[in-house]
Amino acid sequence: MLTIKNLTKSYGPQQILKGIDFQVNQGDVITLIGPSGSGKTTLLRTITTLEKGDGGTIDFAGVQGELAHLSKNDIRTIRQNVGFVFQNYNLFNNKTTLQNVTEGLVVAHKIPKAQAKTIALAALKKVGMADYVAHYPSQLSGGQAQRVGIARAIALKPQVIFFDEPTSALDPELVGEVLKVMRQLAEEGATMVVITHQMNFARNVANKVVFMADGQVVEAGSPADIFDHPQVPRTQQFLAEILSNV
Amino acid sequence: MTTLALIYKFLIQILPAIQITLIISVASIILGGLLGAALTRAKLSSHWWWRAIANVYISVIRATPAIIMIFVVYYGLPFLIKGWFHVSIEGWNRMYFVVIALTLLFSAPVAEIFRSAYLAVPAGQKEAALMVGMSPWQAFIRITLPQTFVIALPNLANAIINLLKEGALTFTIGVVDMVAKAQMIVANNSGGFAFETYGALALIYWVISLAIDKLVSLVESSFQKKRQAIQP
Repeated sequence: MLTIKNLTKSYGPQQILKGIDFQVNQGDVITLIGPSGSGKTTLLRTITTLEKGDGGTIDFAGVQGELAHLSKNDIRTIRQNVGFVFQNYNLFNNKTTLQNVTEGLVVAHKIPKAQAKTIALAALKKVGMADYVAHYPSQLSGGQAQRVGIARAIALKPQVIFFDEPTSALDPELVGEVLKVMRQLAEEGATMVVITHQMNFARNVANKVVFMADGQVVEAGSPADIFDHPQVPRTQQFLAEILSNV
Repeated sequence: MTTLALIYKFLIQILPAIQITLIISVASIILGGLLGAALTRAKLSSHWWWRAIANVYISVIRATPAIIMIFVVYYGLPFLIKGWFHVSIEGWNRMYFVVIALTLLFSAPVAEIFRSAYLAVPAGQKEAALMVGMSPWQAFIRITLPQTFVIALPNLANAIINLLKEGALTFTIGVVDMVAKAQMIVANNSGGFAFETYGALALIYWVISLAIDKLVSLVESSFQKKRQAIQP
């Protein structure tokens, strides 16, 4: 469904992504793990066109082309077919909870207001935020805000939803409510790509785990492969460090 | 007559001219605001020459005292227009010249205010808008601009009050505004009651400034409560 080949990306002299191949199939729940600075976030931001790739190709939603030379239309098509959940929520500060969800439906996807409201309310109900429609982002807790962020993404019925460390900015006691929503989405068959440090989520919910380090995919496979039988020393070392902290 | 009664009397005489002051101020705020917004765009441009043009313009305008700007526009502009387009604008209503001068003066601080306010809106706001499928223009109009405006409000109020005060120099090229009216009153009284006359004038300016302050803080508080940035 989504195929990335040989993606490269540099900031100045520093190469962040060194030729990444990445494939997402319908219904996949892929977790991206790896040390900070390994390029996970940059990979997500480049696939979703928030950053421009230097090299490599994308095949997604009818767009086939080089990431460095996408037309405005291609970029718009890609953006309209992905959902993105940000680490620090990025809810629209000047909009209510309900408007945060309807905004993209009405403005970008040209769905009539009444219908958009119905879709938005259903999405908010799914994440348990239907009672907060009139609240502004500043009135929500981190966990609530992130659940609205997820509702905003799923309301658009994207082909893939990307999560960029969705629980990293949350207080520990709020992490659970967000993970629960994500787990539920996965069970309903949503296609998801998740950067996370929540190893339980990676192990129990994902069907595929991708370990990245230094701008490269070091190892990829089923959760059992990666967590129980990591082949590459770099992976073993990372997991030993992470799991010893739990 | 007591001093207070005199101030009241002069107040009533000066007040009709307030419409000149208001027309000039409002026109300059609107035009200067638009010019300021265009300058902000230039300052944020990725092309260095746009940024250079805007920077030079702003530094020149900022360094020009209001009275000099008014004289330069009033005496200089007809000259330039005649030279370039062979059109005479000497017969124009003098208010136009004041509006042009004040528009130029207002645009520079406003450009700086807009720029810093725009940069204060977190980049994630725009990114989130793009990720729900909006075009860059839609993201700007619906998400970034309203937040920029709220952040800019307090400084914008200061700039508007400054403009109002600079507008008090309108009389220097012969437009009969409130200041000119006050001068006439003093002249008619053979230089007498100057304190009471100008006191009445100061009172009017004070009330207008107060009204602007109050209005802005009302608008601000209605936004602020619900629209402040979320702390992750």
